[in-house]
Amino acid sequence: MEEVLITCDNLSHVYSGGVVAVKEVNLKIKRGELIGVIGQNGSGKTTLVKHFNGLLKPTYGKVIIKGEETTNKRVQELSRSVGYVFQNPNHQLFAKTVTAELEFGPRNLGLSEEEVHERVEKAIEFFNLDTYRNQHPYRISFPLRKLVGMASIYTMRPDVFILDEPTTGQDNITTRIVYQLIRRLRDEGSTVICVAHDMILLAEVVERMIVMRDSVLIADTDPKTVFSDRKLMSSTHLYPPQITELSHRLKDKNFINTYALSIDEMQKVTDQQLQVKRSK
Amino acid sequence: MRGAVLPISMVPGNSVVHKIAPLPKLLWAVGVLIISFSTRNPAILGAMIVLGLFLASISNIWSSFLKVMGILFPIMVIAIFLQSIAPAFPQPWTPIAQLGPFTIYQEGIYSGLTLFERTFSMTIFAMVFIMTTHPSDLFVSLEKIGMPYVINFILTVTLQLIPILQREFATVLSAQKSRGMKGTGFGAVLPSMVPVFVGAIERVQQMSISLESRAFGSTGKKTSYRNVVMGVKDYVIMVVGLLASAVTLYWIIVDKSLDWSRTMHFSPTLSVILVITAALIFVTFIVISVSKIIKT
Repeated sequence: MEEVLITCDNLSHVYSGGVVAVKEVNLKIKRGELIGVIGQNGSGKTTLVKHFNGLLKPTYGKVIIKGEETTNKRVQELSRSVGYVFQNPNHQLFAKTVTAELEFGPRNLGLSEEEVHERVEKAIEFFNLDTYRNQHPYRISFPLRKLVGMASIYTMRPDVFILDEPTTGQDNITTRIVYQLIRRLRDEGSTVICVAHDMILLAEVVERMIVMRDSVLIADTDPKTVFSDRKLMSSTHLYPPQITELSHRLKDKNFINTYALSIDEMQKVTDQQLQVKRSK
Repeated sequence: MRGAVLPISMVPGNSVVHKIAPLPKLLWAVGVLIISFSTRNPAILGAMIVLGLFLASISNIWSSFLKVMGILFPIMVIAIFLQSIAPAFPQPWTPIAQLGPFTIYQEGIYSGLTLFERTFSMTIFAMVFIMTTHPSDLFVSLEKIGMPYVINFILTVTLQLIPILQREFATVLSAQKSRGMKGTGFGAVLPSMVPVFVGAIERVQQMSISLESRAFGSTGKKTSYRNVVMGVKDYVIMVVGLLASAVTLYWIIVDKSLDWSRTMHFSPTLSVILVITAALIFVTFIVISVSKIIKT
């Protein structure tokens, strides 16, 4: 029933210097999934996601996007199906106003003027950018610039969004806004893939985690399983959210009986535990 | 995008040429430069090409060297074609063959051939020099012979900035392609150049701040992390280079018979073959590059 959008079939990528960046990865990404890709720097996660919109082509194996192999496809064609939001918005923004910036993508897709206008308005509403629509993208603050970067991809209406570090360098308020936006993108039927080091994003927003280590995909499962697997976490030199670590330690001492990924969850767990104790 | 970047940088290695100190190598490269501009004798230029290729082969830099030459060679070789139909040479010209609308001149072939040899020999030596010398070593050596620190610093920063900007440009290009930008044409200029320039200006601003905060421009003798020691071998190479350049230069100036432009004769068939080959190499190069650009 669920439509498979991206398939990696034995994907390997070797850079021209002979460095193997991704080794024999197999995965399927479906419509409406919220995926987090994690791993240390240099573990191959960026190389992996760059295959999802054709920026890199597999050295061995296949990447199939919406039923078509990427090998002979240009990035521009694939941008219709997969949108890639780069980590640094400064690499993307060039226009004089936010509105003009948002028009760039849909214009490249060859849409009619009305359609472009309609999409830009929708994006401004979705990302709440109305106050900034006539401002220069370089003049607004960095977190807002990042939102403009995301909005400029949103106007292209891809099926899959790839967000490279969507919350890095942002304050708490915008980070929360980004979390909400990611959920809303999914609610609109898009797949969202986040490459991130932000553990709270991964624990509270993401529903499926892809863990890379030394160019190899070592886990592809839900966040709870990943975060509760201490061996896996330490082998990738990643630390779970503090609340998860706390729940780990409390569980070790038999204070509670399960792990928690968020503060809300932790509260539920401890409340239950208290009730059990009281009833005794 | 990787293919479009000229890989003119050091190729790490441990060869004899790598081990020579930067100054003797620089002296040789400059010597070749001076000689190639002082003579039009095909044999001397040819000998320098052979020597250069020999040095390239013993320094194990072939793959990078050929990559660069693959781009520069066709551009240099077109000199033969252009010169043979319009020689940079005092008249009268002796026509020797007719190739469609073009008349090929005797002096043109000579002039084209020597011009090509000139640029080729210079490029070979320059490439061998750059590809076997660590930039920092070069700057340390230049400082030792009295190059002011600030000039040295500007040179280093400029050399470092080129690969950074190339990488930045590649990133911007892939970011814009992800937004459906067509890779070629006028429409691609602004979207791909504005972020690169803005980034470069920002980078320079940040750099000036970090330079200030690290006391750039303070007086006193500066030391370097890298140290270049000139051995006996290096001095010998330097003296040999100096002598060889001086002797050749003297020979070129004194011996007027080295100018073969009126005595060396090319048969019409050979000239036509030369001109056609040169033109073909150039056209093939243009076709390949254009098709590569369109493909991205």
